[in-house]
Parts: sequence; structure tokens; C-alpha cells
Amino acid sequence: MDLRKLKKLIELVQESGIAELEITEGEEKVKIVLGGQAPREVSYLQAPAVHLPAVAPAPAASAPATAPADEGHAVKAPMVGTFYRSTTPGGKAFVEVGDNVQKGQPICIIEAMKLMNEIEADHSGVVKAILIENGQPVEYGEPLVMIG
Amino acid sequence: MSIEPSDLIHGEAIAQALEMFRLNIPVEVLAQCPSTNALLLERARMGAPHASAIVCENQTAGRGRRGSTWISATGASLTFSLLWRFGSTVSALSGLSLAVAVAVARALEAQGGAQIELKWPNDLLFRGRKLGGILIETLSSADSTVAVIGIGLNVRNAPALGDRVGHQVADLREAGALGSRNELLVAQLLQLSQVLPTFEKHGFAPLREEWLARHAWQGRRVRLSGGGHQEAEGEAIGVAEDGALLLQVAGEVRRYYSGELSLGLA
Repeated sequence: MDLRKLKKLIELVQESGIAELEITEGEEKVKIVLGGQAPREVSYLQAPAVHLPAVAPAPAASAPATAPADEGHAVKAPMVGTFYRSTTPGGKAFVEVGDNVQKGQPICIIEAMKLMNEIEADHSGVVKAILIENGQPVEYGEPLVMIG
Repeated sequence: MSIEPSDLIHGEAIAQALEMFRLNIPVEVLAQCPSTNALLLERARMGAPHASAIVCENQTAGRGRRGSTWISATGASLTFSLLWRFGSTVSALSGLSLAVAVAVARALEAQGGAQIELKWPNDLLFRGRKLGGILIETLSSADSTVAVIGIGLNVRNAPALGDRVGHQVADLREAGALGSRNELLVAQLLQLSQVLPTFEKHGFAPLREEWLARHAWQGRRVRLSGGGHQEAEGEAIGVAEDGALLLQVAGEVRRYYSGELSLGLA
């Protein structure tokens, strides 16, 4: 994970008021804890190589929720590619922070090899944060937009 | 510009030919529409069934990649879109646009085309000039993906079109693909209906050699810009099994998934 991404994640934690954020990406795992004394703590852990399914599995009845719903939910990249916030360069963005979105509403596009994949909100709610700059590359499973 | 009477797009002729090949793809013919991709994408959202196509004589807002306009003149081009449902996530569709390019090239060759080359990821070239392009738009869910595959081909009178698009283009007549537009469309749908199931089962890997055999810039010095990374310049050494472009940059092989490719300075 590069510094740019780490910085973004730290900012996200600070802005959102989330106490703790843990992200696993391939074999890397990052945990950011917002402390009382220290402004923040970032720890790098070597996680076992666990490959997550493309999209978080839906039947969650048995799995305990890792975070209360009001902390927001990350819509993740289902593929490697370039992140775009609108259909055309300079066009109107699908969503802005603070917008209300409905489940199924398009929120961004990821392009790879001239395949444009529209990403839909998988939850209804308010857009808490847009984590990636327009036109930046994204990795598989990378959080794109927080919806709370 | 007049269309030869024999080369009108004709729904019934297309349907008959498809039936002869036992191909169950309903094709709707429209005289005019903003964009076949946009229309089919809207229908996909409403639950349109697998394998249906729209061909349009006159696209008023044809779409290229990232909003670039696809310009077509009446009767001089063939523009159509095919809706295809895959029972897999979008990440499993890596390389789809290269697989589609192989299908399009095969179909043109079946119609007499020769020396048709591919530029990563999926432009069709004849003697270095653009013959056609492909734009795929997808909607994905947790376990399936619907793809709208848009294909635009210059059939004739490309030099006149070249002035309007601002770069050199080629047409199928020059490249030797002489079928009527109805025949060209049927040939495209036939090849796509063979390639897409192969792709769904095995990915791009079994089609990779065929793509490389038509690679226009193999071994050439190229430049890749945009795509969210720094401009890269290196030797095009091929494509990976997931369709990524492989560039040799400063003695190291790097993979790229996005960007616009152009020939570098020698």
C-alpha cells in the first residue's frame, strides 16, 4: 500500500469519526486507530494470504457485523482499473459527498481495457466520503466510496 | 452520400441469415438513435434478456471511450451493440475487450478482410489506420455481469470521414471485407456467439495467441498516456493472459490496464 493511499485513509478516519479502520488488501493489512492521546496510530500487519470474494457475501445472518451500520459502509472496487466520477471528462459527477443515494444508483465508473464498469451503490444512504481522486488507478477490493 | 440500394440494413434479411445459422439473437434495426450502447444499457437495467442486439443506421450521439464521440456517416459505417449476460463477476471478465477484438477480426477475415491488425486493447487497424473500435459497458452484481458490447466499423468512404474525425482512418472495402452490411453484421454476431462462451469458460488465455498474431505494434516502441499513471514509454512485448498490456520499461516488464497507446519516437 503506498503512502498516498495511507494518507487518504488516515484523513478518512479523522474526518468520519470512525474509531478504528482495518483494511486487508492481498497480503497486506492496515489498521488505523484514532486514539485519545496520540492523534492516530497506524500499524502494518502481515496478514495471511486470504483472498476475499469479489463482493462481500450477502448472507450475513451468521457472521457478526464488524462495524455498526452508522459508521458507513465502503463500496469496493470489483476490478483493477481507473476510477472515474463521471461518464465524460469534465462531466457532472455521479455523486458528491453529502448526497443521498439509493441502492442500485450508479456512483462511479471503473475503466480497464476500454471496458467501462458502472459501480452501483450497494446500500441506500448518504455519501460520507469519496476516497479516490478522479482518474486515479484502483486495485481490486480497494474502498471507493463510503456510504453511511 | 447515397447508399447502394443493395446495402441497406434489412432486419428481415438479417433474421433469415441468423436463423440459417441457428443463431437465436433478436436484432432490432433502427433508422436513428442517440447511441445503441446507451439504449441497450438502459434495457439491460430493465432486465432485457441475454443475447439481443440493436443495429442503427444513424447514431446521433455515438459513444467512444470516455465520452469521445464516435462519428459515423449514413450508409458508410456499421454500428451495433450486443447485450450479453455473464454468470461471473466483472473481475472475471478481464480481457473481454481483447476477446471481442479477436471475434471482430475473425469475422472481417471471414468476409475477405486481410492484414487486419489490433492495437491494445481493442482498436482495429488496417495499415496503421483505424478501421473500427469497440466500447464495452458493464453493470455488475455480486454474481453476474451484463455487458453491452458496442462495435463501430467504417465500411466505406473512410477518406471523407477522416477529415471529420481528425485522424487517418481506413475502411473495410480497402481492407478487402466486401460483404454487404447485413452480411458483415451476421458474420460479427456469428463470431461473437462463438468467442463469448469460450471467453466465459476459460477467460482470455485461449484467445491470447490469436490476439498476438494480429498485434500491430509487437516489438515497437510505444507510449501509454492517461489511465491514472505516469506516462510510460517502452517496448510493446505483448499482452498477458488477463489482457493487460506488457511493456518493457527500463529492462523491467510492467503490466498496464488503462491508458491510450500511441507509437513512440523511434
